Amino acid sequence: MSEASQKRRLPVWLFWSLITIVFWGTWGLVSKIASNGVDAWMNQLLFTVGIAPLLVLVGWKVSRGGNPGESAPRSDARRKGVFWAFLTGILGGVGNMAYFEAMVKGGKASVVTPVTALFPMVTVLLALVFLKERLGRTQWIGLALAFVAIYLLNA
Amino acid sequence: MSSMVWLGYAVLALVLWGFTGVTQKLSTNRISSERSFLWFCWAMVALSAVVVVIARPHWGLGTLVVVCSIAGGTLNGLGAWTSFRALESGGKASIVISLISLFPLLTVVLAVALLHERLTWMQTAGAVVAIAAAILLSLEPAPAQA
Repeated sequence: MSEASQKRRLPVWLFWSLITIVFWGTWGLVSKIASNGVDAWMNQLLFTVGIAPLLVLVGWKVSRGGNPGESAPRSDARRKGVFWAFLTGILGGVGNMAYFEAMVKGGKASVVTPVTALFPMVTVLLALVFLKERLGRTQWIGLALAFVAIYLLNA
Repeated sequence: MSSMVWLGYAVLALVLWGFTGVTQKLSTNRISSERSFLWFCWAMVALSAVVVVIARPHWGLGTLVVVCSIAGGTLNGLGAWTSFRALESGGKASIVISLISLFPLLTVVLAVALLHERLTWMQTAGAVVAIAAAILLSLEPAPAQA
């Protein structure tokens, strides 16, 4: 394949990024529609039903050995990795319920979703404090803009 | 005052998801993204079991809301999976994550077009600033020069 024809093709990573936008962008819409007839508890149950096929699919793939090039982590590292992944699921699930409840309480999908999408502001602050990561100038500006955005969205 | 109630829940979601940014990194530093996703899903199942016990949810629901709730889980999970694929397909993390941060823009467009939501000019400005902030926050600083 020539270099020119390669440049004309959509890069694979761009394709997956755009698909992600479609999935997560549509999730906000269907959540708002669902919030008109179901509470956050029930939504969490049905949300889990929706994610179950992926659990089966990924579980099947992992049980077949995952990536051939992937080296098996040591057992203590694996245990810690599983613990943090499980905690991610619990925090993510409770976060999902709060996101859904915001819509049940009358928040518009077009306002709630941009507010909650600011969660990296908490991540970068935690990474700064606990992981001793440093912030770049753009991240500091992003942090300041996040507070401005929350103020404007609640106006 | 009622407007503050939804904002409180939205900020709670923001804080909890912010924590997952750190816990996810601590996990994928030790195990593969697939195993991490698997245990993330098992945690969702465990949380749902707790919900069944303490909330005793009622099951008399309309078809549309059931379909939309289930679709929410599938769309969220598929989005997580495709975001991993984007990163594994050679996309730079700073570009992929910045691009993905645009997803609320699609929600805003869909909500205005299909649900006929109306935004004040302040809220419109807020949505634009929020998306810009999310993109800037996802840009990791360049490594320090030796």
